[in-house]
This record gives sequence, structure tokens and C-alpha cells, in this order.
Amino acid sequence: MADLITSDQLLTEPQRRTLYAVLEIIIPADEARGMPSARDTDVIAYVAEFAEQRVDAIREELDSLNEESLKETNAAFADLSIADQQALTEKLKAAQRYFLVSTVLQTLNCYYQHDTVLTALGMKPGAPFPEGNEVPHGDLSLLDPVRARGKIYRE
Amino acid sequence: MAEDIVDVLIIGAGASSAAAAWSLSDTKMRILCLEQGDWMNPSDYPSNHKNWQILRNQFSQSPNSRAWETDYPINEDDSAISVANFNGVGGGTVLYSGHFPRLKPSDFRANSLDGVADDWPINYATLDPYFAQNDRNMGVSGLAGDPAIPYHEAPLPVVPIGKMGDTLGRGLNKLGWHWWPSDAAIITEDYEGREKCVNLGPCNYGCAQGAKSSVDIAYWPINQRLGIELKTRCRVREITVDENDMATGAIYFDGDGAEHHQRAEVVIMACNGIGTPRLLLNSTSARFPDGLANRSGLVGKNLMFHPWGFVQGHFDEPLNSHLGPMGTCMLSQEFYETDPARDFVRGYSLQFTRGSAMIDTAVNGTFSGNIPWGAGHHAAFEKYMGRGVNVNICCEDLPEECNTVTLDPELVDSNGIPAPKINYRLSENSKRMMDHAVGKATEVLQAAGAFQIDPGGHAAGTGWHHMGTARMGKDPETSVVNEWGRSHDVKNLFIIDGSIFVTSGAVNPTTTIQALALYIADSMKKNLANLFD
Repeated sequence: MADLITSDQLLTEPQRRTLYAVLEIIIPADEARGMPSARDTDVIAYVAEFAEQRVDAIREELDSLNEESLKETNAAFADLSIADQQALTEKLKAAQRYFLVSTVLQTLNCYYQHDTVLTALGMKPGAPFPEGNEVPHGDLSLLDPVRARGKIYRE
Repeated sequence: MAEDIVDVLIIGAGASSAAAAWSLSDTKMRILCLEQGDWMNPSDYPSNHKNWQILRNQFSQSPNSRAWETDYPINEDDSAISVANFNGVGGGTVLYSGHFPRLKPSDFRANSLDGVADDWPINYATLDPYFAQNDRNMGVSGLAGDPAIPYHEAPLPVVPIGKMGDTLGRGLNKLGWHWWPSDAAIITEDYEGREKCVNLGPCNYGCAQGAKSSVDIAYWPINQRLGIELKTRCRVREITVDENDMATGAIYFDGDGAEHHQRAEVVIMACNGIGTPRLLLNSTSARFPDGLANRSGLVGKNLMFHPWGFVQGHFDEPLNSHLGPMGTCMLSQEFYETDPARDFVRGYSLQFTRGSAMIDTAVNGTFSGNIPWGAGHHAAFEKYMGRGVNVNICCEDLPEECNTVTLDPELVDSNGIPAPKINYRLSENSKRMMDHAVGKATEVLQAAGAFQIDPGGHAAGTGWHHMGTARMGKDPETSVVNEWGRSHDVKNLFIIDGSIFVTSGAVNPTTTIQALALYIADSMKKNLANLFD
């Protein structure tokens, strides 16, 4: 059981603070649209359940971000103002091709299958089966000119 | 104890195997099918689960990525296209989209009409009744009257094209180009004890509803009631032969790794265009030092995929394009037939498939820079979600002997059986055709009003269709099997999968593979009295 990764032990406290801060930078809440922020979707629990193999990469990315913050500003990333967090992440995105790539990928994976998010988008949360979806038949009279043209294949 | 000898031994339980077994069942012969994979359980498919979008990763179409116990590895280091397949009851149909267009009459006459490749020893008319029979057996939906193919009626009404189809149709009409809703191996009404499609979406990761006509759903339950035996977790190592050049059966490993020799009067190969040459090349003997049924030297040669490309468009109007059977909306075959004015011979289909689901939209948009981090994220996501359309390009691939399936000298599967190695390059003709198609796909999207078009072009991970590696023909010097699938060299060995294609056409091959299997089975029945003459 010692090897089991749970959401409680997934990240150190500094890593957790960095993650929460950067989640607000990646996908902030939008009250007008009723959209939550990525921080509200429990990314840590999601990673523990579905992306355990990415944990090390996420830890490294968060540590690296925090180190850059300390180096550049003498403050932990989570303690910066939002404007400074945005400025730093923009700078690092421009400089590093794979900046936070695992963190962002898992954040998007978690966010866009979260019930609250899908409901706010007007989509049905949960499994597609058995309810399924309605798709209109479409206007097959649009095929009239195609029919009128006649046979186009060779014998 | 008397030796257990079956009348007919079929290797593989995919599309062709299921159809042939069904046809042969009325002979009351004892028929046994050996399949290296398992039965699939539809309740395991991603659509049953809340987290279906990410669970799709478990059903990768690449056997090398999937790497299930039931898969065999494939060396693709020297191939411009990597293989997609599925090993289990149902074969590739478990993960296919169900897009079901037929080859056309001109596909059987590439040499006569265009001076390239070879003509098939049969023609469209030969297969026509078998296409129809297979459509009834599988449960196929479609709209009659497509002017790009001889008239035929599908047993079920067409899959809905939705707002996306209307938008594209209007664009294609502006250009005056052909388009038509696709024939689909998807049931749109309750059919033969199966419930109709409810537009779950991700058909290519298994259909939880059972509405997609994979052959584990459409054929095998019936076949078993008809008395066909099917054994899973049986991986065949080689086909055995006697001193009279007659197949005597197959040596296989069961799920526990124990080796068995199954004797048979007739052996039918149905392992697809890569698995079949692999097994024939692994079946060496004093009589067949270069592999079984390979006196022509053509087993494993002339491998054809369909060079495949993508162009994606996004529209201002919400289309709900992420809903509906993902691979089957409509197709255009405006550029299917040869036009001497072009700088390539033969042609291609444009297949219009549904847009991406939420995670794919967000991930692709974010990493491509279309969807930013921060305050603009939500508005940008809305701009792309449900508004995307994929134009797939399916190019005809002409046979070339340099494109091969051989045996890898080192790579083996979990039973120690040598694995296949693919050597494949895109021809200059294919490259020119792809360039043309990318341009035409872009034109369609422009005409339909897309605000953004991303011409991705050729994509490597698209080797769904495996053809040509044991081609049919009348001349034993230039073909592996005759005009009804019987090996020229081994009179009781038949091949019924995509290996026997002479040319590839420019459409998904499954319906043609199955029509061929039914035709070959029917030919066997008609020739039963002198099957080995």
C-alpha cells in the first residue's frame, strides 16, 4: 500500500500552492458564462485517479515554475500577484517549448469532462450510453443538383 | 483416440472470416475458426463511462501502442504509414468507423482504363449480389441513387447528416461537385434483435449500443447458432502441408502457451493484409522454403494502404458537429476517377467526418495557440467547440513490389513467433494526389464558409487498410490466389481478406472484403465436388 498515490500525498505543499495558482492562470472562472476555474475542478484527485504516470512530470514542472519565480522575483509563484504570475508564465511559455505541458494537458482533460463544466456549456455530463444524442436528419433535398447531374462513374 | 480433423479451418475472426463462415455454414461441414484475441464486452467500451473521453486511450488503434497480450508487434521503422488494427473477435471492425462505400466498377479495371497496375480477374458485377447480401447481414444504412456508384439500396435509412452535413452540402453545391451521405455499417432502426444507433459518437473506440455493425455483433452470434465453432486465444504459428502440397492444418498456441496441431481438410486465411502474409512467410517447409503459397514470390509484396490526409475547418455557426457517428457523415467522389489533365493517375475520396469532442477541441486548440490561457480561454473554446469539421482524404494506393510485409529478423510476439516488418513508401503519384486533394478539401471548406482552415495533409498513423499482399489473378506467375481465392500452389488453401486485392480503390475496403469473402465461399460451394482439381 506504501506505493499507492492518493490525492493527499500527490504533491508537496509548495507544489500544491503552485498548482492552485497556475490553474487560475490557465483557466480562470468566468462568472458571466457560469464557468468555474480549473482550480474548482479538483485536478489533483483527477491526476491521482487517471494520470498517475504523469505525476512525476507534473511535480517537476511545478518545481521548475516555482524555482523560476524565486529566481526572477525572490518570491514563490503562489505569492505573486495575478498580473505578475501572468507575466512570468507568458515569458516562460515563449522561452520553453514544453512549458507546463503535462500540467496543462491534465488540467484540460480534467476540466472538460467535469460535470459542472459540461453543464455550464449546455452539454450532458456523464456517459453517452445509454441516452445518446439527437442529431437532425439534415436537408437531403440539397442533393437535388447532385442527382440532376447524373452518373459520374466509369464502367 | 481418433484424430480431430475439421472440414474447414478459418484463421482469424474478423470481417472476412465472419462472412465466409456464415456462407459456408449451409454446407453442414464442420467449421472451426481460430482467433488470437478475445471476445469484446460492449460494456467495457468508453461510452459506458463518465470519463469516456480519456478512456479512449485504452483502445488505441495502433497495436504497438495498445500492446495487449493478444496483439503482435509490428516493425514500422521503415514505413511512411503505421499500422492500425484490432486483434479479437470482430477484428478491425471492432474499432472501425463503419464507413462502408464500395469499390467502383473502374477499380477492377485500372489497367484497361488507365494503363496502370493490373485488372482484377473479376468485376463489380461479380460482387454486386454479394455486396447486397452482406449489407443485409451486417445491417447497413444508406441512401439509394448515388450517381457515383451503380444503383443499390441499403436495407436501412441513411445516417443523419445533421447541420454539419447541410453546411458542407451547400458548399459542395456551390462548387458543383459530387457529394452523398455515406453508406454506413450502422443500424439506424432496430434490426435483427439489435437496437438502433443513438449517436453516442466515438464509434472508433467500440460501440456500447451495438448499433455499429462490427462482426462480433452482426455475424458471429448467428454463426455460432448455425454451428460454427470459434476458439479464442488461439494464435496460429504456421500452416502445415504434406508432400502433395496440400494444407493439413495449423499449429497454434492456446492461451496458456500450449502448442496444438489442428488438422483440417481446407484452410482459409482471414488474418488481414499483414497477418496473412506474416503467417504464410512463417510457414516454411522443404516444399515451400520461401513461405507457403509463395512460388510466385509475391506473398507480402505490393502492400497497399490508403495514403490518408486531413484538412480541418471551423465555422462561425454552431453545428453540433461533435455529435453523431464520427466517421460517417458524407463523402465526395468528384475526384475519384482518372482525369488525364491532372498530374496523377487514379483518384481519391473526400470523407467528411464529425468534429472533435470537448477535450480534443480544448487540447488541440490550446496547444496550437487558437485557445489561449486566461480570460480569453472560454470565449475561444466556444468559438471552436461543435463548429469543427474534418475532411479526410483517402487516396488510391497503387501496388508496388517494393512495399512489403516481411518477417523481422529479431522482433517476435509473446509466443516467440516472428513479427512482421513493414517497408512502405509513398509513391510520387500518391504525393501529387495528396497535394491535389488537400487543395480541393480546402476549396470545399472555403465554399462552405469556414472561418479557419488547417490543411494538415498526409498523416502517418492511418494504416487502417491493408491490401495486396497475396493478390488474386489467373496467372500463377503473377498472383498468389486464383479468381476465387484459392492458392495457385496449395489447392486446399484459400485467402479471403484484403491481401487478395489487386488494386486498392480509394474507399474503405471492408464492404468489398466481405463481398469477396461471400463470393469465394459461394465459389467453394459451387465447386465442392472438385474443389481441389
